[in-house]
Amino acid sequence: MMFYEGKELIGLLFRLYVIVLFSGIIVLPFIPLRFKSIISIISVFLIALITSFIALNGFSGDGIEFLVNGGSFFGEIPLRIDALAAWFILIINFTSVTGVLYGAGYLKSSTVHPSVISFHWILYIVFQSSMLIVCMVQHSIAFILAWEVMSLSSLFLVLFDYTNPKVLKAGINYLVQMHLSVVLLTVAFIWVYFKTGTFDFKGISVFFGSNPNIWLFLLFFTGFGLKAGFIGLHTWLPQAHPAAPSHISGVMSGVIVKMGIFGIFRIIACLKADYIILGEIIITISLLTGLFGIMNAAVHRDFKKMLAYCTIENIGIIGIGIGLGLIGMGTGQGLLSFLGFGGALLHVLNHSLFKSLLFYSAGSVYRQTHTRDMDKLGGLIKKMPKSALLFLTGAIAIGGIPPLNGFISEFLIYCGILNGINSAGISQITLMVILFAGLSMIGGISLLTFTKAFSTVFLGTPRQELKHEPVEVSLLMLLPQYFIVAAMIIIAFFPGYFIGIIGTVLNNNTFNSVNFNIPDLQRYIGILKNISLASFLLIAVIGFVFLLRWFFTRGSEVKYSSTWGCAYPAAGDRMQYTGKSFSKSFGKLFNFLMIEKKGYDEIRQDETFPESRKYRSFYIDIFEAKIIGPVMHQITRFINLFQFIQNGKIQAYVIYGIVFILAIFIGTILNLWH
Amino acid sequence: MLSIILILFTSIFFTGIIIRTKSIVSGRKGPVILQPVKDVVRLFKKGAIYSETTSIIFRIAPVIYFSTVFMACLVVPFGSYKGIVSFDGDFIFFAYILALGKFFSIISAMDTGSSFEGMGASREALFSMFAEPAFFILIGSFALFTGNTSFHNIFSTLHLGSSITYMLGGLAAFVLLMISMIENSRMPVDDPKTHLELTMIHEVMILDNSGFDLGLILSTGYLKFAMYGAIIADFFIGGLFLIWAIPLFLMIQVLYAIMIGLIESFMARFRMNHNPQFILTLSSVSFLIFLGVLLVLDKFV
Repeated sequence: MMFYEGKELIGLLFRLYVIVLFSGIIVLPFIPLRFKSIISIISVFLIALITSFIALNGFSGDGIEFLVNGGSFFGEIPLRIDALAAWFILIINFTSVTGVLYGAGYLKSSTVHPSVISFHWILYIVFQSSMLIVCMVQHSIAFILAWEVMSLSSLFLVLFDYTNPKVLKAGINYLVQMHLSVVLLTVAFIWVYFKTGTFDFKGISVFFGSNPNIWLFLLFFTGFGLKAGFIGLHTWLPQAHPAAPSHISGVMSGVIVKMGIFGIFRIIACLKADYIILGEIIITISLLTGLFGIMNAAVHRDFKKMLAYCTIENIGIIGIGIGLGLIGMGTGQGLLSFLGFGGALLHVLNHSLFKSLLFYSAGSVYRQTHTRDMDKLGGLIKKMPKSALLFLTGAIAIGGIPPLNGFISEFLIYCGILNGINSAGISQITLMVILFAGLSMIGGISLLTFTKAFSTVFLGTPRQELKHEPVEVSLLMLLPQYFIVAAMIIIAFFPGYFIGIIGTVLNNNTFNSVNFNIPDLQRYIGILKNISLASFLLIAVIGFVFLLRWFFTRGSEVKYSSTWGCAYPAAGDRMQYTGKSFSKSFGKLFNFLMIEKKGYDEIRQDETFPESRKYRSFYIDIFEAKIIGPVMHQITRFINLFQFIQNGKIQAYVIYGIVFILAIFIGTILNLWH
Repeated sequence: MLSIILILFTSIFFTGIIIRTKSIVSGRKGPVILQPVKDVVRLFKKGAIYSETTSIIFRIAPVIYFSTVFMACLVVPFGSYKGIVSFDGDFIFFAYILALGKFFSIISAMDTGSSFEGMGASREALFSMFAEPAFFILIGSFALFTGNTSFHNIFSTLHLGSSITYMLGGLAAFVLLMISMIENSRMPVDDPKTHLELTMIHEVMILDNSGFDLGLILSTGYLKFAMYGAIIADFFIGGLFLIWAIPLFLMIQVLYAIMIGLIESFMARFRMNHNPQFILTLSSVSFLIFLGVLLVLDKFV
């Protein structure tokens, strides 16, 4: 059985958490359908409340540590909640709560069997808990186990619409890639175990203290990077996100992907050397990730795919922050570390907010129109004004545009780069300037991406007649989005508080090599205060200009007419600029990265009166088409050479068994296995 | 405080000078310098026609567009006098607040549902995206050079060392001149006087705006010119006394306006698909400045 050391209250709360978790799981299948979502909301909310309370204690001092007896196999499992874990636990809980609220509304009119619904909600609760446990445990085997539960539960959440073959394909892709991640992580943990003889995460520090740092770190980075979606490891993201129901996409993009970032942070906290080279590697990968992600986001028509690629871009931005922090650790510039890591941590929070907001509001559009192709939509701002404004808020925030929260974290990372520019070596200076330009370009392309997405889906007139007239979604679906917007505004206008918390995260014993002085922290809190003042000023200016506008146009005449069509009166809805045409010239410029495929039948010469025909064009992921695809093809061909083993004949299988037994027998006689 | 007053003052006659220069070069007398302002005042008094397709976005966008450019002007310092908004890294705020205005002007164009306006919006988004790295490399180089990270500190410490900085300032002025031409949609990237919607960028985006909103958009354009002129002037003013600095500022602004007029008189607009190449060239000029800074600072070993 379990026993707890340390604070009585925390132990009690932890016990309570386990009770809520299991009672939620057990109760769900046995209650009527209409109560299922309420029970799951209550369970998720209670779990969030309890664990957040535990996490809040983690911010003080060294955090909380207690041991759980895991029996003879695990030994004692240390559960440590330091400030880093606490930060991620709070983010997970917020997004999980908004996700369950939105999901309850999203699945309300769903016609699937009640057992599917209860399975879905049970998995959701398991999934939330597995992420929380991943943040808490510091024991290799238990960590891998929780990581696996997290991957599997999210897989089954993605497979909600399991009758759709496309969804199944995306799910299997996700399953395979997540297991590749588990394999890499397991290898890394085993390596640590053989060198240090402990499953405790403290062993990783010991390992780094006496061995070369770079290879083990890169192994961990690849394993966690698969979850996070760094370039080359990203191909599951654009498939799994569109396949999942929208609340799951929101939670996946908001927090699961961030668990990869959490892992990387956890390993960085153990690092002892090689900071600069690792920082440079991560920065290079991240910049490419950011550019690649946003370029692909700019051209795709499927809005959930677009958002998935945009997640990859944001992982790139977070990675840039992490890389800056590592360089700061290497060169002893505490301020650079603070700005890099701090920017990254704040961007993790910010991205979890606005990306889930975008997925939820885009999900509302999908719910009402049943299409994810933005070029079939249009003019939805008149039918769904609230969802439109929510999407717009998310779009502005994700572009890192003031006065919203995305700007704050990107500003910190920019400041980090500016600090790095004044560092010593020429190679670093050049890297920083390229990074500066690259980050600004990412910002520019994301402006293009989100103006395109917002205006094709919500503005103009409908491009196609829909089967059902879309109406605004229910309050239950809007409410969590309002919560998110409120959180975003609080971060945007009162960033000093959050920077203070991040200061605690970076200043305690977790990151012992990050030494920034408190006056620097205070200075940046002051700068951020200036930004929020400027944002207030901006709002005041906008208000003043509106007043002027009202004053001047009070008495003047207002007329309504059709849009100017260059004197052509019959301009139809189909003639509007589509998302595809909006990003066409951009896609053409970068056609070496975004490969466009077209499908159409040429008009034959004998076809005097051509019949109506279809034209389609789509973009494919260069990594999937040119690298992963061919490699997988070769592997499959090699494996197929051994197909004769699985020939379906029982006789053959019996022989395999006999051969195996004989081998063991002979081996034992000759004492081959000792 | 001083900078915003001066920027507002120059914006009144800036576009007038451009138009006048173009008229004189082409052998006409041209309208009075204050004609653009008179146009705006006339538009302010007029009523408006809105497209039935448009939504609330179309109404609020011009106001936000104007306000963001005004806010950006507040960040620009005047020599050794700070702007109203000034902090470390304020030029990032400057660039991103302009992006907010651009965001709204693009979606307001898309709001009309017109394919012409969509075309203009798409081009605006593309071209301004390419102009972004040039500005950031430029300012990043000067941040490296001076060791400072705010507009005010960069400009006031720029010329304290050697006089080679004036050369860097000249290159920077060229880059900023071109960036301002792109941002204001002037030649050689866009031709404001073209009469074919298919070849327009900025003009086509505001086809459906009328009345007060159109006046606001036009005055935003004037303000934007004066703002970029002020930044260019700041590269040369440094810590001069006011009695020298203000005439120098006005002189640079007038020169800048005449220069734009001359460019517009003697150059034709590029073919649309050559524009990205041209804009990316600016980034390489910025990179040249960066290499120059590395040379001056003896960073090559």
